[in-house]
Parts: sequence; structure tokens; C-alpha cells
Amino acid sequence: MSEKLLEVKNLKTVFATEDGTVVAVNDISFSLNRGETLGIVGESGSGKSVTSLSIIRLIANPPGKIVSGEIIYYPKDKPPVDLLKIPEKDMQKYRGNDIAMIFQEPMTSLNPVFKCGDQVAEAILLHQHKNKKQAKEQTIALFEKVKLANPGRVFDSYPHQISGGQKQRVMIAMALSCNPDILIADEPTTALDVTVQKTILDLLNELQEEMDAAQIFITHDLGVVAEIADHVIVMFKGKIVESGTVHEIFTKPKHPYTKGLLACRPNLERKVKHLPTVSDFMDFTQNKNGEFDITAKSTPFIENAGNEFTKEEIKARYDFLYQQTPMLKVENLSTRFPMKKNLFGKPTQYLHAVDDVSFVVFPGETLGLVGESGCGKTTLGRSILRLATPFKGKVIFEGKDLLQLSNQEMRALRKDIQIIFQDPYSSLNPRMTIGNAIMEPMEVHKIHSSTKERKEKVIELLETVNLSADHFGRYPHEFSGGQRQRICIARALSLNPRFLICDESVSALDVSVQAQVLNLLTELRAKFNFTYIFISHDLSVVKHICDRMIVMNKGKVEEIGYAEEIYQHPQKEYTKRLIASIPKGLKGNKRNV
Amino acid sequence: MISFIIRRIGYGIVVLVLVVLIISSIIFLAPVDPAQLTFGQRADIETMEAKKADLGLDQPLYVQLGMYLRDVSPIAVLKDTPENLAKYSYLKLIPLGQKVLVVKWPYLRESFQTGRRVSDVLREAIPLTLILALSSILLATLIGITLGVIAALKQHSIFDNIAMVVSVMGFSLPSYVAAMILALVFGFFLYNYTGLNVQGSLIVLDDFGDKKYVWKNLLLPTIALGIRPVAIITQLTRSAMLDVLSSDYIRTAKAKGLSEKKVIFKHALRNAMNPVATAISGWFAALLAGAFFVENVFNYQGLGLVTVNALLTFDIPLVLGAVLFTAAIFVLINILVDVLYAFLDPRVSVGA
Repeated sequence: MSEKLLEVKNLKTVFATEDGTVVAVNDISFSLNRGETLGIVGESGSGKSVTSLSIIRLIANPPGKIVSGEIIYYPKDKPPVDLLKIPEKDMQKYRGNDIAMIFQEPMTSLNPVFKCGDQVAEAILLHQHKNKKQAKEQTIALFEKVKLANPGRVFDSYPHQISGGQKQRVMIAMALSCNPDILIADEPTTALDVTVQKTILDLLNELQEEMDAAQIFITHDLGVVAEIADHVIVMFKGKIVESGTVHEIFTKPKHPYTKGLLACRPNLERKVKHLPTVSDFMDFTQNKNGEFDITAKSTPFIENAGNEFTKEEIKARYDFLYQQTPMLKVENLSTRFPMKKNLFGKPTQYLHAVDDVSFVVFPGETLGLVGESGCGKTTLGRSILRLATPFKGKVIFEGKDLLQLSNQEMRALRKDIQIIFQDPYSSLNPRMTIGNAIMEPMEVHKIHSSTKERKEKVIELLETVNLSADHFGRYPHEFSGGQRQRICIARALSLNPRFLICDESVSALDVSVQAQVLNLLTELRAKFNFTYIFISHDLSVVKHICDRMIVMNKGKVEEIGYAEEIYQHPQKEYTKRLIASIPKGLKGNKRNV
Repeated sequence: MISFIIRRIGYGIVVLVLVVLIISSIIFLAPVDPAQLTFGQRADIETMEAKKADLGLDQPLYVQLGMYLRDVSPIAVLKDTPENLAKYSYLKLIPLGQKVLVVKWPYLRESFQTGRRVSDVLREAIPLTLILALSSILLATLIGITLGVIAALKQHSIFDNIAMVVSVMGFSLPSYVAAMILALVFGFFLYNYTGLNVQGSLIVLDDFGDKKYVWKNLLLPTIALGIRPVAIITQLTRSAMLDVLSSDYIRTAKAKGLSEKKVIFKHALRNAMNPVATAISGWFAALLAGAFFVENVFNYQGLGLVTVNALLTFDIPLVLGAVLFTAAIFVLINILVDVLYAFLDPRVSVGA
């Protein structure tokens, strides 16, 4: 039988907050065998990261504290040890040596003032009896192992000089440097582009086969976990709600939360009218003990054939949309940023963020803009609104070239075109009640004559985005991420725009919340006949909501066409690579199925 | 990097020219007669008129400003005469007819009061101020960073709270008040125990007229000047350390298995030093400019005291020279700090 490496028994970790103690991890138990990959899945606040940090005892104290439980590590040829009972000094010998960790944010996880190579060599010098020269040789060998091109150069580079994917490879090299028994990867690919994610997942898979170790892989992304894990634990609000082999979880989920999570991801193979959300599968309430009671719901509409768009329905919509005259025409638009300046501050080298881009948008359609980070999709959206200054080209909105308008004329037009930003946390002023935040644009543009009328309009808008009138006087911090994004949408709607640019508007949200916001955007489109430009790095989301899409790469348009058409028959190499990088779920799991 | 430094020096020169123009036009407009100041009451009219002509005081204001700029500029066009050579001690570059393009040290003119060259007066005062500034900034840096790091590591502890309250008090204490209290307590009341003087400069002339270094006279001014920088450096170090300690790369360092000590002193401290370096350099420049009040209280013969005395006696060339030197020091230290950033933090690209 397989050899047990780690056993977590009744672990409970709490955090002290201003509102009292929050139980982040509530009495969970699981075990991990040598050679196995354990996936821990859950949304934000499920306690999955706290679990991993508890194992390695890096919970910041205060405010966090492990209150009870055992974490038993079974080293080879040595007696088992309860990691929660040993002093900090002894724990330092296990960290990095026997249990290593890779973190979510490769951008900030490396110390900016030390060279990458030295940071990896530091771990080797610490745990192994080697001199500096040997440590350097070993580090370069590790860099080769994690497939970093030009390992010698990376050794001497500072973290800001290499890309996000390379940084995550350096982090993996650091974690592997002392041949750990257990490798904990906490959302290692979440911050990376999908093509980079694929290469990192492939690498972790390969290393797993090579090493005699076990992995704990923490992620919110079910597609990723299906591809990489043997066993899966599903966490919800600090509890394990379901666990099983990856096959069981993905083919025969038992718990309503698991079912909901699996259903609410936009499916690439079919186009549905209404995305299921977790709340379609279950209700939950917090009881007196601070625990959550879950009640399952029956979910008739998911299997309902009427929820899926038929080919005829899609064709009818396209026929209607594309016989109209375009609402927005973008012609040869180029935006560039200075990269280098000469002695007198005159730019000598430019970054062409948007490079000679042309397309049209028809009234009522949703146009997707996909591409990896740095492809220029955000700059393009901002250039259309003149939030970035293009140096060439035309943006013709209903016959008027926006780039030629005076600031005053542009301001008048801004109420027709609104933008919804990526981060609902930072795009609301924390010191303004949400009612006032939504009302402010109306005051600026002098819509409605009195404050009373405006207030009524705000309440109407709050109801449109499924919030209620008594939310008017509350502050942003009282809302969850999904609610805040709906507030941002309400604010954008307050000026009765006809054209909305959504810049990664659902990217920062949990999948179940993302489904809710996508449903809201679809409903609004049907109700008010909005035209959208929907910017996202996530192809499945774009395919779900968009009629046509533009694939961007290095500031240029790679491909433009109907969403299904591009997904099924990509013409360009870049598009093909992008589609191939999307996690395939169980089909992609090389180990188990 | 080099083009950055050149550009910064260019800006610096513009700043200095503006400083000269603004300060000198204020002072040239002041209702005093420098000729009279130079010779006192006993001079006859002819001598006074001659002096006025020599100083260019019979000229309109803009000509006077132009002449002063020509005097302080390191590159100038001058008449090639023996008098000018003695005055400016220049090096000829290119002859231009009767005149000649020269390089020279800035000529800061002569003191109205003593007739000595301003540059000689400054040369005596500056080293004293430099030693005082260095010793107090060193003291402040050592104590401030140590206290700040301890306060950050023991956040919300009694030590942290006391350190923060004391540092706010220290920052609110004007340096001249601190100077007077220190002088009174340690130099007067406790003289029998400390042996420190209430007043006194670093260099004093003994009974035979020889220069003598009295190092103990440095102690009280150093402390008086150091109190406020200690307070601000403590606070800045604390907040920067707290910031850095909660960052992802510190978690990475801990996950490697590094000891607490290594995490703090190797990984955290260096990242926390950027804002602290700004504060230290700013204070150092300010201290170099002369601690007017503190030098006055202790009668310490540095730049501050010289400047104050010059102002009291309308010794315009000396005031201008001191202000110009101060401005130059600020410009120079700012350039140095920008270069220092690039070494502290490799992400800072000074080319942009």
C-alpha cells in the first residue's frame, strides 16, 4: 500500500478580527500519501490557503492562531512528528527542507533586492552542507530542471528583470531545492496567463513523476484541479464538504456545493442562456455556533433544454444584429507609451500597446476582446474612451470622431459610453456611501432635476442589479466582491448609457459570483439593448457572453469573427495555442483516468 | 544613468541661478549702504564713492545681479587684467579679443565687516558644521533604525507604545529648546559631574593663540540636533518594516526555513530602507545648511552661527555665499540620494 506522509487531524485555525473571532479552518482532517497529488478546491474564504499555511506553520500570529488539532508528518526512516507540538526552531528545519511551498503571487513572492539565483542558493546553503560554489552549481541545475531558458542569466537577474512565468519557475526551483517530501502549491498559476499556466502545470506534473514526493495543490479553478490531482477535497467556509478521487468528484459529485461549483463555470461546448450559480443548488445560513447550515435545492432548469441556445436562435440573433449600421467604428487606432528618453526627456523608443487596430461594433451586440496580459486589450478599451491618448487613428461613435471632440463635447458624450473596471475593491471610494457613489455621476451630468428624483433613480438601479433600497446608506466595505461589482455596474448604468465597456469586470470574482454577474449583464442586455465591449483574458467567459470576438496579440488584431467560429476553427497559430492551453478537466489528467 | 546625472546637474544649475537671483534681489534692495558698513563712520566721501563704484553699487539692479552671477559662475568672460587675475585667480580657456573666457572657483566677494574673502570665512566654518552634522545624523540613524526595528517587531507592545509616544514628543520639541535645556542641565546644573561647558566651539584658541580641539563641546549640540531626526527615523523605520514584514517575499523567506534573525536583517531591513534613506538625506542636508539656533545657543562657530551673525550685521556677501553653499549642498545631496536608490533597490531605473 502507499506510504502515508502527512496526516491532518481536526485542525482548527481562527483569526481575531474587529468583529470577534472568525473560524477560518474548522475541524478538518485529511491525509496525504507519498506520490500523490491532493487538490484542495474552494472559493475565497473557504479556508484552503489557511489550511496550507497552517501545515507549514506560517499563519501570521496575531491575528491568526491554530487552536487545536494535530499535523503529523511521517519522515522516511524516522519516527513521526506532530508539527504543531515542536518549537519554532525545530520547525525551521522542516520548512523548505521537508515541506516546501509555492505561492500564488510570483510577482511579489521573490525579494526584489536580491538576485534570483542567490535566493534559491540561500535555501540550499541553509539546509545542506554545501559551499557557495556547489550551491550555485546546484541552483543552475535546478533552473535547467524547471526549464528556464538561459539558467546562468536568470541566476544573475533580479526578479523584476524576468517575466511572471519565469518567476514562478524560480519559485518552483526554490521549493524543489532540498528535495522536499511534501510540496504545497497555493494557487501557483492563478496570476499567470493561460498559456503560461499550461507550461507550469505540465512542469509540476512531470516533476511529480520524477520525484518521490507528494503535492498539495490549492486552487479555485476546477478545470486545473481535474487535470492535476489524484484526490480532491472541496472546502466551503472552513469545512470539508466533500472529498474523493478526482474521478468521483467530477463525475458523481454528491454535495450540492460541489455540484454548483461544477455547473457555474461557463461551458465551452454549449451556449446557455442563464448560467447556473451555487445558490441554484443550495441555501446556507449561519447558525448560533457560527457554523453554516446547508440545504440542498432541486435544480430543474439546468437540464432544461430551453436553457441552451439552439443554432437557429443564434443565427436569428446574428441576422438581426449584423444587418444594422455599426454604432462604433475604430479605424487604424494606435496608442503608444514612451519606453526610453534621451538627454532632453524626448522619447526615443516606444511601446506600441495598440498598433493599427480597426473594427466595428453593431448596436446591441457584445464584442469580446481576448488576449494575454500585455496584449493591449485594456489600453484599447481606454483609448476608445480617451482615458489613454491614441496618437493615430479614428474612433467614430455614431458619426462623431471621439478623438477630435473638445473636452467639453467629450464630457457630454461620456454619459453614453461607460466603463466597468476590473477591481471592484479599489474602484469604489471607501468613504462614500454606495448610494452617493451611484448618484455622483448623475449630479455631474445634471441628470434629473432634484436630489429626490435622483435618489429614486438610484433605488431603482439598486433593484435592477439585485440589491435593495436599504443598501443606499451603506459603505463599500460592508459588501462582498460580487455585490461591489454590481454596485459598479449600477453606477455605470446611472447615466443611461447605451454603450458599456467591461474591462475584466468578472476576473477578480469567485466562479459562483462570476456566474451571477454574467447573468446580470446578459439580463441587462436583453432589457435595455446595451452594446458591450467585453474585455477578458478568459476565453470561456468571452465565448459564453459574446457574439463576436477579437483575439489580440502584441497590440495587433490576430483574428476577428463569431465566437463559436473562432473557438471551433481558429485560423491563427496564436489563437490555436490560446485554446489549447485551456485546462481540459478530466480529459487532461494524465495520471488517473 | 549618466544621462540621468547630467540632466539632474542641469536642473541643479537652474535651481542655483534662481536661488542667487531671488535672494540677491531681496538683499540688494535692502535699505543699507554697504560702503558705509565696510568703512564705518570715519571714511571720507571719496573713499566711500570709490568703494561703491568697486562694488557696482552705482549701477542699476540688473547690472548688479549680472555682476554677481558673473562672479559666482565657474565659467565667465572677463577682462584679462592683473587685478582680475588676483581677484578671481582664473585659468584662461579661450581669448576673446580684449576679454578672455575663463574657468575659476566661484568668487563670493569680500565680507563688508571684516574685509576677508567670504570663501575663506566659509572654509573655516564649514568643517565644523560638517562634523556636527555628521555626528548627529550618525547618532540619529543608529538609534532611530534600532528603535524602529524593535518597535516594528514588537508591534502593539509596551515598548512599541512608549517608543511611539516618545518619538512624537521628540519630534515636537524645537531643537533650540532642547539645546537650552541640555546646556542648562548638563553644562550648568550637573557641571560637576559631566564637566561639559554651557557654550563652546569645537576649535578654541588657547591662551597662546594656538588652535585646540575640544571634542567634548561636540556632545551637547550633537544630541540637541539629533533628537528630531531620531524621532522621525524611528517612526519611518517602524512603518516601513511593518509594511515589508507583511509582504509576500518575507513569507517566502520564512517558508525557506530561514531563522527569524536572517529574515529580519537580511530580507526585510534592506527593503525597508528606501523611505528611511530619503529622511536621513533630507535631514543631513538640512543640518549641513547650518543649525542656526543650536549653533547660536552653544556658540558653536559653524556655518549657522556665521550666517546668523552676517544677517545681523547686513554682511550681504557673506549671507549670499552661505545661502548659495546651502542650496548647492541640497542639490548635490538630492542627486546623490537618487543614485543611492538605484543601489538600494535594483528596480529603480534612473534612466527613465
